[in-house]
Amino acid sequence: MISVRNLTVSFGTTQVLHDVSLDVAKGESFALVGESGSGKSTILKALGGQLTSWGGELDIIDAPQGAGSKLALARKVQMVFQDPYGSLHPRRTIDDTLNEPLIIHGEQGRDKRVLDMLDAVGLSRRFRFRLPHQLSGGQRQRVAIARALMLDPPVLLLDEPTSALDVSVQAEILNLLKSLREEKGLTFLLVTHDLPVVSFLCDRLAILRAGRIEETTDVATLRAGQFSSAYGQELYQRSVDG
Amino acid sequence: MSLLSVENLRVTFPSDQGPVEVVRGLSFELGRERLGIVGESGSGKSMTGRAVMGLIASPGQVTADKLAFDGTDLRDMSESALRKLRGARMSMILQDPKFSLNPVIRIGAQIEEAMAVHGALTRSQRCARMLDALDAVRIDDPARVARLYPHEVSGGMGQRVMIAMMVVMEPALMIADEPTSALDVSVRGQVLDILDDLVKRRGMGLMLISHDLNMVARWCDRILVMYQGAIVEEIAAGQLYAATHPYTRGLVASLPRIDESRDRLPVLDRTAL
Repeated sequence: MISVRNLTVSFGTTQVLHDVSLDVAKGESFALVGESGSGKSTILKALGGQLTSWGGELDIIDAPQGAGSKLALARKVQMVFQDPYGSLHPRRTIDDTLNEPLIIHGEQGRDKRVLDMLDAVGLSRRFRFRLPHQLSGGQRQRVAIARALMLDPPVLLLDEPTSALDVSVQAEILNLLKSLREEKGLTFLLVTHDLPVVSFLCDRLAILRAGRIEETTDVATLRAGQFSSAYGQELYQRSVDG
Repeated sequence: MSLLSVENLRVTFPSDQGPVEVVRGLSFELGRERLGIVGESGSGKSMTGRAVMGLIASPGQVTADKLAFDGTDLRDMSESALRKLRGARMSMILQDPKFSLNPVIRIGAQIEEAMAVHGALTRSQRCARMLDALDAVRIDDPARVARLYPHEVSGGMGQRVMIAMMVVMEPALMIADEPTSALDVSVRGQVLDILDDLVKRRGMGLMLISHDLNMVARWCDRILVMYQGAIVEEIAAGQLYAATHPYTRGLVASLPRIDESRDRLPVLDRTAL
């Protein structure tokens, strides 16, 4: 589904990714774990079409990234960002926000699709014509997830989707993401620094450090705390000890 | 005698629907210890910290039956007297170094400012104390960092600079409002170590305000759990999983664990509270 081969990215003279390779199968939920500056979000940006130059090969659903049009890419991949306060247009209603991708792509039956999506992400229909500031953080993140799913993309890129939320709201959003993935057979690529979230939501994970993958393993290794790399073990200990 | 003594603290803000009480009758004592205050957004934990510091501005109203810091009544204190206290004997660390440091003043000068306002030190003494403070928060090359501007340092270093700014006056009471939320896990440990050291070595009283249950539970001597402006439960260190109040239990249950095997996380049922 997603194939990344020898991805290198530089900003100016600083190389932030060094030969990163990973594969995510269809329907899989894959996590990128690492500290700030490890390059995990840069991988998402490259896949989501937000970077203009990179080296290596990026394939999403058997088509190289950058080859097709932006419209075609938007139908394959959508992104959910960390901060639900910053990622929604403050002066557009929820209805506007959810309609926009449909209008751009000339989709029919928009009214019904917006209502169906509100139901799917567990938002009451009465929120449809509200503005983002009238919603709580958890409700906004539901809107951001709804917007990402409007074009039915098979792949969702999630950049710390719950780290700005309260713990009880985090549980709701994590449950929602898990249900949506099961219902729609979505493939997730999740960026986080929170290992318990990986344990709940993901099947496999890669540990990044300074732009390199230290270790790729499945979630059973994480649950047992049996990382083979010293850095993986260090992250695990920190997560357990606080 | 306890360092800070609070009885029936209330903070009220006016609204279109009449006054809204965001802190409802809070009472607690703080000694020379690490007291954690946890709760979700809107539970009133930050407002509690601000009320103690006298930082609730009009139209907010603060009332209390008792609000005493080291034997002094804070309630009727004039603004100028409070200003002498703040920054010198009681300090507050805010969440985000990006927004709390002045972007156009060099780090060293910002740290010295508090001493210039409060102290009677000479310029060279202030400079020496500033370098000591940076050293105390484990900044490797204090002389170099002192000349930098806030945008030239990382978030973790910025937060350490903020702490240096507070500890340079050796306050008796420190209120830390989410001091580690904007930081990486690796840096978080360092910041907590520095605070811990200050409590142990200088006998400071620390109020740590956070939404991170696990971190607070592992690190503080005592925890107050707040919900809707009131304390619902007090928990001793390490007893988080023995909490009895349904709100605390709900929060603990909704946290994913590192060896997670549950298919769905239990969601807090607010109607049952």
